[in-house]
Amino acid sequence: MTRPSDLKPREDESPGTPPEAYEIGKALPEMPFSLTPEIVEEYMTAVDADPTLYVIDGRQAAPPNVLAVYLLAILYRGYPPTQGIILTDVSWRFHHPIWADETTEIVGGGRVTERFERRGKQFIRWQGDFTRGDGLALASAVNTMYVPARRYEKR
Amino acid sequence: MSLKRDIEMTQAMIDRYGRINGDNDIIHYDHDYAIARGFRGTLNHGMMTLGYMADMGARTYGADWLYRGELKVKWIDPVCPGDNLVIETTDDDAVTATVQTGLAASGSIRLAEDK
Repeated sequence: MTRPSDLKPREDESPGTPPEAYEIGKALPEMPFSLTPEIVEEYMTAVDADPTLYVIDGRQAAPPNVLAVYLLAILYRGYPPTQGIILTDVSWRFHHPIWADETTEIVGGGRVTERFERRGKQFIRWQGDFTRGDGLALASAVNTMYVPARRYEKR
Repeated sequence: MSLKRDIEMTQAMIDRYGRINGDNDIIHYDHDYAIARGFRGTLNHGMMTLGYMADMGARTYGADWLYRGELKVKWIDPVCPGDNLVIETTDDDAVTATVQTGLAASGSIRLAEDK
């Protein structure tokens, strides 16, 4: 079992990555992890998902958006996060079910695609991709986030 | 097909999502910090709201959703503990998440042409 917290650097572990340090086009480090039935069940509880919606030919699948809890880990392992990052949008494309009755070996990857300023704030856009261990594409996501130019200190 | 769902957001729900999400950003659990940042309270995780919106995609498209679902979400305003979060879809594939102060997120749920 790989919990997202096993993969994701904590926001308070380091000063984090300022916006200008994100490198456009550079591949993010591959992120292998094991998605277990227990994680799927915990996720479904957390978003109150209806399991009956994800049954295909009698077999229980996971909500494909279960991958959302792993998405930011792909980026953060390459660029440790600052406190105060705010997600602005995301586009998901799902390609294949993830079965909920077995452990699935998955590899995450991606790259930063754009860095831009809007109303004086710095944003980055990046793509994350998830493939099964055998190379089958599971899902991809394009995410935009606001990245603070400085670290917010807790009072 | 139009769908609607009401969710009473609580700090316990945000904390539960935070545990599975592995997210330690204090904006999600430190009320005083969130207020100091100018918010009404702690913020739920944007991907948590997305989870509710994605469920509408599965409800609308069935098994096809897992093979060629496309979900777009733009987060607009925070969802805080105590909010009544309303997730709605419309016949033109739009999906919204609304709280009492206005639109929290909007987007679309549709199927890609290619598999």
